[in-house]
Amino acid sequence: MKQLKKLMALLLALAMVLALAACGSGDDSSGSSGSGSADATLDSSAELEVWIWDSDQQDGIQEICDLFTEDTGIAVKVNVVTWDNYWTLLEAGASGGDMADVFWMHILEADKYMSNDILLDLTPYIAADDGIDMANYYEGAVETFTYDGKYYGIPKDHDINVILYNKAIFDEYGFDYPDETWTWDTFYEVAAGITEASGGSVYGSAMNTTNDQDSWWNIVYAMGGSIISEDGTTSGLDSDETKAAMEFVGKLIDDALAPQSLVSENGTSGLFSNNLVAMICQGNYTLAGFTDYDGSENYATAVLPYYDANGNGQCDDGERVTIYNSLAWSASAATAHPNEAAALVLWLSSYDMQVKQAELGVTLAGYVGADSAYADAISAKGIDASAVQVMNDTATLISYPHSYNTTTWQNYYKEKLVAAWLDTSLMSSVLDDCAAYMNDILAAE
Amino acid sequence: MAKEAKVKMSKAKKNEAMWGLIFVAPTMLGLIVLNFYPIVYTVYQSFCKTGDFGRGNTFIGLTNYQNVLTSSEFWSSLLNTLKYAIIEVPFGIGIGLVLAVLLNRKIKFQSGYRIIFFLPMVAAPAAVAMVWKFLYNQQFGLLNNLFGLNVAWISDTNIAWISIGIIGVWSIVGYNMILFLSGLQEIPHDYYEAAEIDGASGIRQFFSITIPLLSPTTFFILQTRIIGALQVFDLIYMVMDNTNQALSSVQSVVYIFYKYTFTNGDRGYGAAIVVCMLAIIMAITFLLQKSEKKWVFYN
Repeated sequence: MKQLKKLMALLLALAMVLALAACGSGDDSSGSSGSGSADATLDSSAELEVWIWDSDQQDGIQEICDLFTEDTGIAVKVNVVTWDNYWTLLEAGASGGDMADVFWMHILEADKYMSNDILLDLTPYIAADDGIDMANYYEGAVETFTYDGKYYGIPKDHDINVILYNKAIFDEYGFDYPDETWTWDTFYEVAAGITEASGGSVYGSAMNTTNDQDSWWNIVYAMGGSIISEDGTTSGLDSDETKAAMEFVGKLIDDALAPQSLVSENGTSGLFSNNLVAMICQGNYTLAGFTDYDGSENYATAVLPYYDANGNGQCDDGERVTIYNSLAWSASAATAHPNEAAALVLWLSSYDMQVKQAELGVTLAGYVGADSAYADAISAKGIDASAVQVMNDTATLISYPHSYNTTTWQNYYKEKLVAAWLDTSLMSSVLDDCAAYMNDILAAE
Repeated sequence: MAKEAKVKMSKAKKNEAMWGLIFVAPTMLGLIVLNFYPIVYTVYQSFCKTGDFGRGNTFIGLTNYQNVLTSSEFWSSLLNTLKYAIIEVPFGIGIGLVLAVLLNRKIKFQSGYRIIFFLPMVAAPAAVAMVWKFLYNQQFGLLNNLFGLNVAWISDTNIAWISIGIIGVWSIVGYNMILFLSGLQEIPHDYYEAAEIDGASGIRQFFSITIPLLSPTTFFILQTRIIGALQVFDLIYMVMDNTNQALSSVQSVVYIFYKYTFTNGDRGYGAAIVVCMLAIIMAITFLLQKSEKKWVFYN
């Protein structure tokens, strides 16, 4: 009995600790890098599986895929795999050779998938299709999904950041609603004003360290700073402009924003929807979700503020900045139906279907100028989204800063900046630390 | 054993051995595929700079271990893990034992109570963590609103580790209680009768009979719970946002293992973390086994 127990305890120790580590280990099967022939007649008996992670978009995407089925006879099933599981399952599928045929690709993962030949090279299919010209898509996004001169994904959408505000709170404390005359300084004055007027029971705004793309990145780039250098080799976090912008963010944190513990426990959208925060910066893709909340009739959107770099009192070209990100449609290199999968990707990316996607209120388009119907479609759901269209037409769109290991350095600054959020006098030294860490990673890429 | 093995087996014995092997084969196969192979592969990965999709691993010797052992993050998370174990193990065992003794008597709704205390064990840990996260919420949480407090239960560096420990204790008490109950029922009634005749009080009986005779059960629970507590992950992962200011004082070794392996995709470094953890757990288990003779009594 004693011996057995000893053995059991040891075995338990071994098994419990180590079994964890193996969950993610892959094997060495290599997907054949598909260089498909583009001429191909399509096999109408094929069935394609499509993976996306956003259930809000499922119906719209399925509708567009059904049109593809009508046209070609190829059956398409759109499955939603939630974001938390998406990459684990996609990677397991890629390692094990059993993957969806067509799926969404994200900027944070694209390099890894492209450099390991997991994705189908779409270049020959694009060349053979008269309707697709990559020059029509957002340039930064096209670049993101290009590797070694080959196209591995076609942008399906892009996003736009706006201010989402609660009219009831502005009315209560007597402040004017945000509009296109606002500079970031106005944003500060009003947000600090609301926080002060309410005696701290309501906050002007909220911003976590994780709200980079929708919030503080926009300030950094508007003020001339950067996250990563143009050539992607050095960090921009320790540049003078970035630091000046982050000192401004520090001023916001001190006087206007909800405290860090509230933000990390509830999220900015949680605070906003509970009427504790007057305005937050949001990507357009979240707006539809806010229509479900009580009191959403008070919600409205406004363009992001601009930074008056030349001090002439008006918004000039390049002063109103929004950082955009695009998802892409990609296909698996190991799919049994490369021609059909590529045809579906081209179908989803075609001008007509991009317009359709916007009309259905699914997302803004990856095809430049194909999404004029989007804002109205969202407004019809209950939150006036006209500011999205104004931003889309007039703001400077900057592509999401990234490198091969974006996630690693991004998570690092998200954690480290918490210290600067708590004590804003540390901002400059934390940025130096993050930049040093990031530079080490970039040097090894 | 060694001598017996040399004796040639009779045909009947051979037959029996063969059937024995056939019957354990499914379990063995499962263990080999799901446990032993991953263990070996993890140790191998810990010596590698790992490539994406399991391809292109390059051998780099002890570099991962060197990086792990020189990082302050590893040592502070090890300290956090020990702090968690120091709450979870003794309180989990102590409360579990008291509950078991109380529920070992004939009282009304006995099995009802047992079910209630055991329920947290049946609930998914992630669900448990979510519920506690709501309870602890500073602004809207039940705890603060019920008692009119304004405590940052999970965002205050000084309190957060205790808050997490409380969830751990609450989750495990029922399981410990069930094990203690089965241990209690193995203690012969004669001892208590004899003690009663000698005039020993209930408390005296508890300390002089129950505790010593329960020691094999206590030892088993102690050992498995220490191993379990040192591997705490899901509670922390679910309750603590990665921008929580108290995270660095709460994150456990397995938490940073998860971060490096699955979030950052650095499997080699993650594997080295987990192998170091294994060594520590083995050492603690070994010391416990050594101490067994001193305080565990088998009838």
